[in-house]
Amino acid sequence: MSTLCQKETRTPATCLGSGSAQGLHTSNGDDVERECSRKPDQKPLKRYRVGDPTAMFSPNSPHLSSRGSIIKWFWDSAEEGYRTYHMDEYDEDKNPNGIINLGTSENKLCFDLLTRRLSQSDMLRVEPSLLQYPDWRGRPFLREEVARFLSFYCKSPAPLKPENVVVLNGCASLFSALATVLCEAGEAFLIPAPYYGSITQHVCLYGGVRLVCVYLDSEVTGLETRPFQLTVEKLEMALQGANSEGVKVKGLILINPHNPLGDVYSLGELQEYLDFAKRHELHVIVDEIYLLSVFEKSVEFHSVLSLERLPDSQRTHVMWAASKDFGMSGIRFGTLYTENRDVATAVASLCRYHSLSGLVQYQMAQLFRDRDWINQVYLPENHARLKAAHTYVSEELRALGIPFLSRGAGFFIWANLGKYLPEATFEQEMLLWRRFLDNKVLLSFGKAFECKEPGWFRLVFSDRMHRLRLGMQRVRQVLEGESQVAADAPSCQTQEPRGPRSHCED
Amino acid sequence: MSGNRARGTTQPAEANRNTRRMSNPSDISPTPCGQTGDQTLRNHSIYTQLMETVLSFMKLMTGDQQQDPALEEQKHSQAIREQEALLGHLMIQTVKHLQSGATGGHKFQLPCPSMHSRDNVRGGQQAQSSRKTCRDTFISSDLSSRGLDISSLYHSSFQDYNTYQGNKYDKKNNTLGFINLGTSENKLCIDLLTERLRRSDMNYVDDNLLQYPDWRGQPFLRKEVAQFLTTYCKAPAHLDPENVVVLNGCSSVLSSLAMVLCDPGEAFLVPTPFSSGFIFSACLYAKVELLPVHLDSWVAGANTSPFQLSVGKLEQVLFEAKMEGKKVRGLLLTNPQNPLGDVYSRDSLMDYLEFAKRYHLHVIIDEIYMLSVFDEAITFHSVLSIESLPDPSKTHVIWGTSKDFGISGLCFGALYTFNKAVASAVSSFGSLHSISSIAQYKLRQLLQDREWLDSTYLPINHFRLRTAHKYITNELKALNVPFLNRGSGLFVWINLRKYLHPRTFEEELLLHRHFLDKKLILSPGKSFMCKDPGWFRLVFADNHLLLRSAMHRFHQVLLEQERNWTRRQLEDAIEEDLLTSNTAAATRPHSSNLKG
Repeated sequence: MSTLCQKETRTPATCLGSGSAQGLHTSNGDDVERECSRKPDQKPLKRYRVGDPTAMFSPNSPHLSSRGSIIKWFWDSAEEGYRTYHMDEYDEDKNPNGIINLGTSENKLCFDLLTRRLSQSDMLRVEPSLLQYPDWRGRPFLREEVARFLSFYCKSPAPLKPENVVVLNGCASLFSALATVLCEAGEAFLIPAPYYGSITQHVCLYGGVRLVCVYLDSEVTGLETRPFQLTVEKLEMALQGANSEGVKVKGLILINPHNPLGDVYSLGELQEYLDFAKRHELHVIVDEIYLLSVFEKSVEFHSVLSLERLPDSQRTHVMWAASKDFGMSGIRFGTLYTENRDVATAVASLCRYHSLSGLVQYQMAQLFRDRDWINQVYLPENHARLKAAHTYVSEELRALGIPFLSRGAGFFIWANLGKYLPEATFEQEMLLWRRFLDNKVLLSFGKAFECKEPGWFRLVFSDRMHRLRLGMQRVRQVLEGESQVAADAPSCQTQEPRGPRSHCED
Repeated sequence: MSGNRARGTTQPAEANRNTRRMSNPSDISPTPCGQTGDQTLRNHSIYTQLMETVLSFMKLMTGDQQQDPALEEQKHSQAIREQEALLGHLMIQTVKHLQSGATGGHKFQLPCPSMHSRDNVRGGQQAQSSRKTCRDTFISSDLSSRGLDISSLYHSSFQDYNTYQGNKYDKKNNTLGFINLGTSENKLCIDLLTERLRRSDMNYVDDNLLQYPDWRGQPFLRKEVAQFLTTYCKAPAHLDPENVVVLNGCSSVLSSLAMVLCDPGEAFLVPTPFSSGFIFSACLYAKVELLPVHLDSWVAGANTSPFQLSVGKLEQVLFEAKMEGKKVRGLLLTNPQNPLGDVYSRDSLMDYLEFAKRYHLHVIIDEIYMLSVFDEAITFHSVLSIESLPDPSKTHVIWGTSKDFGISGLCFGALYTFNKAVASAVSSFGSLHSISSIAQYKLRQLLQDREWLDSTYLPINHFRLRTAHKYITNELKALNVPFLNRGSGLFVWINLRKYLHPRTFEEELLLHRHFLDKKLILSPGKSFMCKDPGWFRLVFADNHLLLRSAMHRFHQVLLEQERNWTRRQLEDAIEEDLLTSNTAAATRPHSSNLKG
């Protein structure tokens, strides 16, 4: 990690590329460093915000209950970006003018390896028992395999136990189930922001649980060593703030490796966050869904399961899935590891609503068992491809003089397009996003991640080169056109304050 | 025996209601049977799975069999009664809490059933330690109160289902294991399905299947489901794939519908008896109340058959609910009905739909058994076959492959609704109830293979269902057990009330336990919220050898039940005799003194 950080921080603040601002319009002559750390407005910002998704809308449908109308809003609001994309998906042959999706965090680099592996004869077994009512926690053979798998890849000091494993149909379900069994409706989890925004929906739909954003800054201050750094001080402030508003906080959600920042927490940081949680008797949900997607060799990932002694093992719950690390979000495999039997049992009793087909459970067990393939074929190839794609996109961004964060983990680059906004507002961010979409490239905008500074975008690079190239070309077209538009942009644009949300992933 | 049953030492269950601590042994003693009120009985056994709690008591019983038979029987019987009362208490608490969960704040404490049995029978150290475990389990500060409820449901149901899973009957390896005629699963055609799913067209993976799916279901599957339902529901016009939402099971569909159609605390009407799974789906997440519309087991008045649903009954319950200030949002129908096996006539169906329209109610129709109508004389009418639905925007149909294809492990359920807003709102749950694209692909292949469906699967399935049904009903006739003779579903609804003395739900539970003693699982009527004691649901969709063993065990239990009754009568007679002679002795005051 250190090498990378050094490399990235050679240019200050948000690790922009070496191309800097040459030949590009930068508003008011700010240099990029200043721009990155520029505050959107002058007033001192609150360092946290208690989210309330239900307060964001008013529509009502005659056939739905009031909560049903809110639920429908979640669906409708996802429509614009993702469904526009789905109706006009890029295809090299059939639809070359279709939309390139650099917005959804999916790894599309290894489908060849995966489809081949999943088509091998050992995957095709059909046993009567796989077709009948399951053990709702997950089939025992799969839970055993998951325990072995996580013991190995999370480097746990002792073998993990199958009894502590619950298998469900994805991490979305897991967030939902954990929120329901750990919190009452209206209670909250702390979450460092920006964060992967769909969690808002996952914990809210059934659980009615809210998220308290712990705002991170792009500006490096005090003892911090990097932008958007999470510190215990920020956690404490957010917790106190939420408490003072009468919101009961039951836990902390950590995403490690982080989405969208790509951060990997150091052992020391992890320990501090866990100690903070223990001090305040908070649950910690650690989402390690990108644990095998650390493609930069110098970056060392530490799973919480690797810690010799967890500060509060009964309140530490780890989630992992095959969606990212194995690039198979369509398979819908997710898993919980918790030493807390009550939590495991409570989640398991919701599993009749979140179960995974027996045949697929069998395939997952086969996959996780095949260490030779994983270690010798899949992981090296996957990491090499991720790295190559990452290198390409970062070079492109540097050439454009766009500051970005990237730390060698995950599928995305967190880029600051603030200088392309005529005004530092989320309305302008949305306008820029629409221009990208109009130019047939889908990105995710910072607001969808609850980023407090307008202008940040997440760019997913884990796609095949021909699509990446075209995607980046379209991005550049917009930005180069944009810089001219920005110069004589109308001062005020009326736009609905709430834009579409990013597509629901897990 | 009767003396044991009285068990005057115990305290009412209220002692531990609303407490979060685990009380001392006397506090947690179960409700005496005599004090278990009607109210309690009406609520307390609506979970089929809860009944399986009793499985754990069995181990306890069998462990002590070698002792003095008479003493043992007393103990045995006492334990049963205590467990039963405890179970009742457990269920009441659970149901009440689930139903009142919407209001929040209501905390309750569930005793742990298995540890409790040890308390009563063995006592001592073991009980101490298990009580501690129980406290740890249930006073966990780590769970929210709704998390606690959910967890306690697991303790009371799934764990014991696992006990069954761990000791299943197997014709080669475990002929003494449990035979499960309680879970409604079609095991007659697993050979056909296994063979079909092994064919090479099923084994397909491509990039598309590995990526995030459309959360409403893959377009190819929604299209196939629309076509499939158009054909098999005999829809007058082509059904629209845009009206289909595919989730990982019918429970998930119902749970999502309850969320989007009702606010917490609102209610659906449900003709009763009904499948206990509905309660989980309506309550666990959505906190929606199910208001039973009790059907009469006896033909009376305008009814032409037992358990007949009429608009009058629906209206009555609706009005009562309104009087109590409850908001009823819909009517939940199952057709073909579970557990009755009834198929609604077109006219009745129209009556119910018109009723719903009159009162602005949604109608959710669960047609999960629609292809399991095996009697050729019966015509099933899907609501989707109706030319002009009274209120299409409030009509929602659920179907899945769990029952009709016996593949519950594949986890597939579909919603068909004409209401776009409902479809959209339910789609929001797509990410939480998603179904693997690989499974979606296999399902598409299965549903589109009409040749196999029409000339292989359906005829063979119906033939096997018919044969199994015939075997079971002949056996029942030979045993003189009354039952509803319908030609659909995977079960018969049988009446064992003549084996209950007295005819109470406690006795029903005892009989259920008696079946479990013989390693036979049936579902008692109370788990379907049936209002009359003595009804059981017996699933017959299993292979012949297993059914034969099951019916043998069934017969044994009924014989013993009769013998026990005779013996109880005798004992009572003797006791009465003794009492009379004692009284007689007492009236000869100084006889012993005289002797002395």
